[in-house]
Amino acid sequence: MRNDWLWLVRKNLTLILRDRKSGLLHLILPIAGVLLSLLLYGNTNSGTLHIGIANNDGDVSIAADAADYLSRLEKVEVTMLDEAKLKEKIASREIDSGVVFPAGFSEKLKHGEAPAADIVSIRGAQVTAYVGAMLNEYLGNTAAIAQTSASNPELFDRLYEDFAHSGYQVSSKTLRDSSGKKDVTYQAIGFLILFMLTSSYSLTEFMSKERENRTFLRMMSSPVSSRIYVLANVTVNAIVLAVQIVLTLIFMEVVLGIDAGVPFGELTAILFLFALAAIGLSLLIVSFSSSNAASAALSNLVITPTCLLSGCFFPTDIMPDAVRRISSFLPQRWLLDSLDKLQGGERLSDLPLNLAILVAFAAAFALIAAYRLSRKDNTGQFV
Amino acid sequence: MNVLDIRNVTKTFGDFAAVDNMSLSVREGEIFGFLGANGAGKSTTIHMVSSLLKATKGDIEILGKNIAKFPRFAKANIGIVPQDLAIYEQLTAYENVRFFAGLYGLRGSLLQERTEEALEFVGLGDKAKSFPKSFSGGMKRRLNIACAIAHRPKLIIMDEPTVGIDPHSRNYILQSVRKLNEMGCTIIYTSHYMEEVEEICTRIAIVDHGKIIAEGTKEQLKAIVTDTKEIWIGVRSEEGVGIEALRSIPGIVSARIDDGMIKLQSKAEINNLNEIIQQLIRSRADIRSVEEQAPNLESVFLTLTGRNLRD
Ligand SMILES: Nc1ncnc2c1ncn2[C@@H]1O[C@H](COP(=O)(O)OP(=O)(O)O)[C@@H](O)[C@H]1O
Ligand SMILES: [Mg+2]
Repeated sequence: MRNDWLWLVRKNLTLILRDRKSGLLHLILPIAGVLLSLLLYGNTNSGTLHIGIANNDGDVSIAADAADYLSRLEKVEVTMLDEAKLKEKIASREIDSGVVFPAGFSEKLKHGEAPAADIVSIRGAQVTAYVGAMLNEYLGNTAAIAQTSASNPELFDRLYEDFAHSGYQVSSKTLRDSSGKKDVTYQAIGFLILFMLTSSYSLTEFMSKERENRTFLRMMSSPVSSRIYVLANVTVNAIVLAVQIVLTLIFMEVVLGIDAGVPFGELTAILFLFALAAIGLSLLIVSFSSSNAASAALSNLVITPTCLLSGCFFPTDIMPDAVRRISSFLPQRWLLDSLDKLQGGERLSDLPLNLAILVAFAAAFALIAAYRLSRKDNTGQFV
Repeated sequence: MNVLDIRNVTKTFGDFAAVDNMSLSVREGEIFGFLGANGAGKSTTIHMVSSLLKATKGDIEILGKNIAKFPRFAKANIGIVPQDLAIYEQLTAYENVRFFAGLYGLRGSLLQERTEEALEFVGLGDKAKSFPKSFSGGMKRRLNIACAIAHRPKLIIMDEPTVGIDPHSRNYILQSVRKLNEMGCTIIYTSHYMEEVEEICTRIAIVDHGKIIAEGTKEQLKAIVTDTKEIWIGVRSEEGVGIEALRSIPGIVSARIDDGMIKLQSKAEINNLNEIIQQLIRSRADIRSVEEQAPNLESVFLTLTGRNLRD
């Protein structure tokens, strides 16, 4: 059994190494993805942070003052926009971050509630956190005034007037020290996810190719079992994806010197967990397709759109709530979420839920695929 | 000892029975011919014997062991040469044979020996390091055979190994079938070419619509044909021969024209040669030869089914 398995693994590796296209697909593309990410984000490192603000709370309001406060910060440039325009500019990367003050924001604040302004960033958690912190510095003081004045609106107005015109200290912290590099990493991983799925699908689909060129038929007429055959394919798939992950990370961190903000081992580990989910998904796609063409069509239908939905190319912040909810059903979302948290300083051991969900995805996909494939065998679809 | 026993085997696809209650035995040392038109159910039968398809009904035994109960044993003793090529274009001839032989547990120097031997056997010894893409159709077919014999199976099943190849490769393949048989292999040879089955097979089964309609040595089969005779008439030109008119002559069972040769099948007891010649003269055919053929498998098939094997 083990002997058969190794024999098949060896054959598959030989075939992959012989195929020039596969080198391009599995290794060159992810590296190109890193370079592209560098192009998109690498040079904005020391620049100005562009913030778009949509104020739905009126021009004479605490929200308007808060916007004014942000605009006076060093290295921050504020543009006032309406909400639709804001989302558009974020999508086109003309601004780095957007803040939306909902109507009634000031009123709530005055009454001691803590209303939420919506902060959306193209650059992931780092920028959102920064803008949020700056905003809180201002609004926190306002909230304190509201607390003091209890429910006395006149007292609040007087105190707030004083505070707003007191020429407050403008923070001059240097902005976004390492966030640029983290953005590059985040985007590079976003691309890597797409390429991992593509590679994994192409390696799984290899089994359909073997059906088509009849070598599968020959293998199945030998004592080798179909289970060992699938297992060998999965093994090779995992090996290729592992090489892909390690090579991409080495290229990014060692060759280009981009600090991912996450320890190498932890990043590799979580990506490998995702690789298992990717293999499961590919098996699922192939097992649900009756032909080569059908599985190719299905993979096109599944891979790129789910990557889009889960935020591999754009942050999910700019997407409608419904879409965001859908993305929790996608393994890519959970990998990106883990990455976000790891970059935010958490450790892998702090994320048992994320790890468990990725493993669950891999297991569920593989089980369904195994069931489908075994049913196919029983009805004699070998030939 | 029987190498293969097929007992009341049926295979249905939907409600269509591709193999219909078939029973068949192949004895050790035979070259067993499996003759039938396209779609008769030959490949389906072979796929069931090699465990690629499950029989809907019935039992199959290899060397006395049921293949459903002992699949590994059955598979280890069979070598299958598929109807369509089953080789890797990205592997050399040597690597192809080595890989497939390795599936049967061979390793190391024994594997190397058997691989070289199999390539030598099909006449590709000097092409071991070449990739199949540089091969002719016939060479690829020979490689296809080498991949099935390197593990030295007791039973070799060849599914139409000579379809669409040059005469040289075809002769080579027929010769190697004989040689394999002399070396002790039992062979099932599937074909819809009656000439080659007649040439090499020691026993023949004729399949039609999933059923075996006749079985025996070629002499036994030809003995079935006592009521028809075959008349071949060579003509200079096929134009205006009037095949329809020939068909309407009393006693004629079938008539066709094939490369300047009019091939007629007629009831044996009716003497209609005069009418045939007269009809041809009337249609101004330029007759070059007339001969009565001994019965062949083609006429056996025709007698049994009323159709030609090639139709
Ligand atoms: N997987 C299948 N599904 C449906 N019909 C099939 C399948 N395989 C073969 N058949 C049908 O069964 C019949 C016998 O096919 P086959 O065994 O390939 O014939 P042969 O090899 O004698 O030419 C054909 O009519 C073919 O169309
Ligand atoms: Mg066939």
